[in-house]
Amino acid sequence: MVAKRSIALAALAAGGVAALRRARGRAALRPGPAEWFAVTVACDPAELTGVNRPDALAELAEHHEVRISPAPGGRGTELAVHSADGTVREQVRALKQLLETGEVLRMEGQPEGHRTVLGRATLPVARQLMRRGVR
Amino acid sequence: MRALCWAGVNELAVQDVPDPAILNRQDVIVRVTASSTCGSDLHLLDGYVPTMMAGDVIGHEFLGEVVEVGPDVRDRRVGEKVVVCSIIGCGRCRNCRAEMWSLCDNSNPDPGFLETLNGHATAGIFGYSHAMGGFAGSHAEYIRVPYGDVNAFPVPEGVADANAVFASDAVPTGWMGADIAGIEPGDVVAVWGCGGVGQMAVRAAYLMGAERVIAIDRFPERLKMAADHVGAEPLDYEKVDVLDALKETTGGRGPDVCIEAVGMEGHGTGAQYAYDRVKQAVRLQTDRGLPLRQAIHACRKGGTVSVLGVYLGFVDKFPMGAVMNKGLTLRSGQQHGQRYIAMILDRMARGEIDASHLLTHPMSLDDGPRGYEMFKNKEDGCVRAVFTP
Repeated sequence: MVAKRSIALAALAAGGVAALRRARGRAALRPGPAEWFAVTVACDPAELTGVNRPDALAELAEHHEVRISPAPGGRGTELAVHSADGTVREQVRALKQLLETGEVLRMEGQPEGHRTVLGRATLPVARQLMRRGVR
Repeated sequence: MRALCWAGVNELAVQDVPDPAILNRQDVIVRVTASSTCGSDLHLLDGYVPTMMAGDVIGHEFLGEVVEVGPDVRDRRVGEKVVVCSIIGCGRCRNCRAEMWSLCDNSNPDPGFLETLNGHATAGIFGYSHAMGGFAGSHAEYIRVPYGDVNAFPVPEGVADANAVFASDAVPTGWMGADIAGIEPGDVVAVWGCGGVGQMAVRAAYLMGAERVIAIDRFPERLKMAADHVGAEPLDYEKVDVLDALKETTGGRGPDVCIEAVGMEGHGTGAQYAYDRVKQAVRLQTDRGLPLRQAIHACRKGGTVSVLGVYLGFVDKFPMGAVMNKGLTLRSGQQHGQRYIAMILDRMARGEIDASHLLTHPMSLDDGPRGYEMFKNKEDGCVRAVFTP
């Protein structure tokens, strides 16, 4: 009886490992996320290059490869950052806001009613996830 | 201050919340004097928009008085009576400059959910979930309005509050539905839904030269209102087959323009409607699509279907074959209100647009939960409950 159970468990385990390998194999076939995170900013490329570039952009460029190119048809400037993780994506979005509108929208400190305990705990995490986006 | 908060699915509560403050230099604070229910709020109440959290202040169609301005606000002044567009634009990104304000790149600070769902995020909306930015809504005594210069519009002398409040959303949304459809003089237009937006689409279609406008609904009082106030030819879909009736009344051609002003919780009859209800209830589709399918089937060959109703994600059995083979043009979008509001207020001042009949139930903010119950269930002929804080 014990032997039969062991065989059954081993078979299950083997099946599970095989399924996992197949899943990993399939996952490996899927293309990975793009390595650059890009936005288009409604400004002249000259504003993002040279000594007059914004401090926030200079700081990004210290740690990441940054590509700046004119958008086709004179439709602004394409700004792309390499190896952009969540923090960088948030910084790039903020930079676009800053360049286009002169400030970065603040949301903390708005009126809100009674949050549940779970809501209070998860809102900052959910907001950060939505701010950065999943890739 | 007091505010009407979402507390859970089909649960609203008036609560004490902190007053809003100037958080950005271009903000204005508005003391709300009228704030309307909107059909799109029902999707929040019914739990179809997944990024609501208990404690969120709802409401997005409103009128009020500017009481504070940020240091970088140039045009708005304390004391001005303003109507505020329900959809927030920054005024500077490429889309805002191209007058496609609801596609603003900058007014939704939390774009991740929509980027995953739709490929790109669209503009922030007051009181309309964290996917749309998480902005506190207008069913409150005060509200913070970002980019105040471009989102708040002074109300001309002589325009009654009961009229002006709908220049925030219902009128510009209806106007846009007719505008993007490219209505030409002599056109026959069919409008699905006789709520506030549908009725205003009827009015706009006539002002743009439509010869006939047929309005489709199932509530007799709404059909009568559309006939009496905006001159629609009413069509009750519970009494006649809509597709047959539209073909017959247009000499077999079908309407030149079909405007869908219903959205993801549309009603209907028959097996198709039952199928949609079941699939939505078990979350196999996010949005019910019967009126949209009808609009596509009814539309004349080479015509235009203009979709104003709010959809979140996916509609099952979308008749792409009809769209393709009949050569239809499909237009849609949340309202680009900032493109239209000043013009609409001028027309209101001249008496060309009057939306005040939509305000069937003026109520205090404290009656907010009851107001939404009446609005949702169309009790007592409720077309719009409007709250005064």
